[in-house]
Amino acid sequence: MATTTLVRERVGYRSTLFEWLTTTDHKKIGVLYLTSSLIFFLLGGLQALAIRTQLAFPNQALLDHATYNDFFTIHGTTMIFLFAMPILSGLANFVVPLQIGAADMAFPRINALGFWMVPMGGLLIYATYLAGGAGIGWTGYVPLSDAGPGGVFGPGTGLGVDFWIMGLVFLGASSILGAINFLATIFKLRAPGLTMWRLPIFVWTVLVTQTLALFAIPVFTTALVLLFIDRNFTHGAFFNPAAGGNAILWQNMFWFFGHPEVYIMILPAMGVISEVVPVFSRKPLFGYKAFIGATIGIGLLAFGVWAHHMFATGAVYLPFFSFVTGLIGVPTGIKFFNWLATMWRGQISLKTPMLFAIAFLAMFLIGGLDGAVLAAVPFDYDVTDTYWVVAHLHYVLFGGTALGVFAGIYYWFPKMFGRYLDERLGQIHWLLMFIGVNLTFFPMHILGLEGMPRRIATYPATLDWPILNLLATIGAFVIAAGVAVFFVNLAISIRAGAPAPDDPWDAYTLEWATTSPPPPYNFDTLPPIRSERPLFDLKHGAASDGGALAVATVAAGAGGPGGEA
Amino acid sequence: MGFRATWHRLALAFRRLSSPRPSLAGVPGRPRRAATRLRAIVLVALAAVLLGGCSLAYPAAGGTVQGQDIRSLYDILLIPVVVIFVLVEGLLVWALLRYRGRRANLPHQTHGNNLLEITWTVIPTLIVLVVFALSMQTLGKVDAKSSDPALVVDVTGKQWFWDFSYPVQKVTVSGAGQEPVIDLPVGETILIRLHSDNVIHSFYVPGFLFKRDVIPGLGNQFDINITTPGIYRGQCAEFCGFGHADMRFSIQAVSQAEFASWIAGQQAAAAATPTPAPSLAAGATTLSVSASTTTGFEQSSLSVAAGKPFAVAFDDKEAGVPHDFAIKDSSGKVLFNTRIITGPASETATAPALPAGTYTFFCQVHPNMQGTLTVQ
Repeated sequence: MATTTLVRERVGYRSTLFEWLTTTDHKKIGVLYLTSSLIFFLLGGLQALAIRTQLAFPNQALLDHATYNDFFTIHGTTMIFLFAMPILSGLANFVVPLQIGAADMAFPRINALGFWMVPMGGLLIYATYLAGGAGIGWTGYVPLSDAGPGGVFGPGTGLGVDFWIMGLVFLGASSILGAINFLATIFKLRAPGLTMWRLPIFVWTVLVTQTLALFAIPVFTTALVLLFIDRNFTHGAFFNPAAGGNAILWQNMFWFFGHPEVYIMILPAMGVISEVVPVFSRKPLFGYKAFIGATIGIGLLAFGVWAHHMFATGAVYLPFFSFVTGLIGVPTGIKFFNWLATMWRGQISLKTPMLFAIAFLAMFLIGGLDGAVLAAVPFDYDVTDTYWVVAHLHYVLFGGTALGVFAGIYYWFPKMFGRYLDERLGQIHWLLMFIGVNLTFFPMHILGLEGMPRRIATYPATLDWPILNLLATIGAFVIAAGVAVFFVNLAISIRAGAPAPDDPWDAYTLEWATTSPPPPYNFDTLPPIRSERPLFDLKHGAASDGGALAVATVAAGAGGPGGEA
Repeated sequence: MGFRATWHRLALAFRRLSSPRPSLAGVPGRPRRAATRLRAIVLVALAAVLLGGCSLAYPAAGGTVQGQDIRSLYDILLIPVVVIFVLVEGLLVWALLRYRGRRANLPHQTHGNNLLEITWTVIPTLIVLVVFALSMQTLGKVDAKSSDPALVVDVTGKQWFWDFSYPVQKVTVSGAGQEPVIDLPVGETILIRLHSDNVIHSFYVPGFLFKRDVIPGLGNQFDINITTPGIYRGQCAEFCGFGHADMRFSIQAVSQAEFASWIAGQQAAAAATPTPAPSLAAGATTLSVSASTTTGFEQSSLSVAAGKPFAVAFDDKEAGVPHDFAIKDSSGKVLFNTRIITGPASETATAPALPAGTYTFFCQVHPNMQGTLTVQ
């Protein structure tokens, strides 16, 4: 399938470092995003280990309350804003232009700017540790995060929270720039023949995700700026009740962003899975259009569920948010059944990308189900703000997003560097992750039902809390071991991994039609694009698709199956 | 050797399972005994884990009428959750075991099926509708408020303790300095009114399967009818700063007669002299500690007699800065701590008897504030 036979020469007049620092190549920026995100993943993970060590036994004081609060705040902020979002942006940066047959993103310089704002925002957020800490939780609820009039005591009295706000405003601006760039790229730079109904599913999920980001993040940035005014200018009074503000307003603004944010973090991971599962089952994605419909459906419903984080406040209209929250499970269910149907009667090969995809399916299902029941308001009254929610969000964001990201890295690493990640180390990484995630997060369900609140720095030796917490802590170290294996794998494979051909997985989409790694301009020639699997058509021809291709063509003309949801 | 033989047999079984189907078996699904047995084992193991998880995860019956309503909803929610979990994970495991391995010919390239898509859209939607209707029904009961409650209790969230007061009976139980225990009667409608003039807290009693946020500027209220006497642990569930983990309380649910006598006792105690200091055995010492900066206590070493409880008088002289006084042993386990107070303020508390030895005293807010406590 190689269409490029150019010999790549070393550029003589500037250093490699200079080239990486000033690059506007989407592939290099993608790799930069991945690198920065993985560094922050390590930092966030170290804080998580410290938290779990503190909670290993009852009544411990390895961390004092203030440090504990700083750690879980910055752990959450890091994992969401400096790991999950940018690493998905990194994958999308590398993959989207290749998958749509473009030479680069629509605005390469804005792309570079967007990336460099991420480590800058990260520095600001980590500066909180030098400025008195920001132990307010990643949700930053007012009045705790406020130091304004009224004399409320919180960690908000220091400069730390101001740094936290500024860091997040930076990261928000970066995401907005990225969103505009992705939308322009996907709408305007598609190769001839690549209609919207032939776009790879990953591109579709990025499209919906970036649209969500464009609508959600400005609301969060606004809330942050209002909080900054409240904190630093005495007559702000937006959120602080003691000064005439409304504490619930912060929660409404925060979650109006915060829930779409969950889908911003999970939809692209679902997109990765929807690339991996078909390729490693040797079948097309079952119900391609239904899947797109479900993705759009989730995107729309995502803006109508935010107040399910606020059921216990007694200040929201319960029936609406309860109903929409239940409803958003339906398109998610459609996706699950489509993935299963894709595997059904396929020829499944369990390479590492597929292993991670399967772990994603198994874990995300648990995260989805234990979240779906939270839509039932009375159940939410019981378990909200307990470890049940901690279990739920980690099954979604670790079992879902992080495992999906690993699937994506194992899948696209050969394209990025022309070498495979080591398969055996990958299997060990996978096994440790699978065990670690369940050992850490499953006991938290039971802790939640037994009434252990979130974010407590110590706990008494009551009920099963000590043993369940100890299990979770052991699990956290198993995860850490898995992550260590992953980094060893990266370090070894990037230099000495087995050389990978252009199309190592016998895949379907355009990125595999160029060399590994691709040349700076991506493609010399493109294969004809007649379906969502141009490379499959090229390799196997329409004949081997049986009668199904005809169906797909007809469907493409006639609106197609299952656009519902 | 036995281990190696077993391992070998197991590896063989896996290999047989994972090896590509012989081309002779053009008809997929030819039964093979080893594979079938392995599948059965995997499925049984999954079911066992699931059942184990469920029995552990199932909460006790709620101690209030409202809690029992919520608990009944658990029974309903559990059905679709377990069915969907078993179905989807089962299909996933089955697909993995059944369709592994690459063959020479491509599998049939199925692009989709509209009937299936409609099925797995409509059925989950119906489940969502049913669950929604049932949960709204329960919600109506849980959130219902009586116009004529038998008892009103005001609960105030402070940083970081709870105050309880019975406005009609003029009884107040403060959590300042100790974990408060309040009595409530069974079999009566009790209106709980929540107040905060600082940050957001959440009033959570796991035994009632219920919590409600305590939000400044928003007077949340709810009714409970306790059915079962007993002691119910409670704790703040909304992160509220340094002392969040310390905001615990207990509710002792008693008969109406016992409650009446408890109230009378509280009223009598309040009418008597101001609350006496916690009683200490004769000869007990008082440890005086103070802090005026965040760099250290004003005392770097303290000593106290072994085997006897002692009083701690802690004085936070630093205006606007929170401190506490805590004692930990060499393993880092916290043996005692006062409340975190924001200066200028002082706090007196009784520390438990300690065996002889050397301990570290420190401030949980500022862990670099440390000193040595010698117990002899």
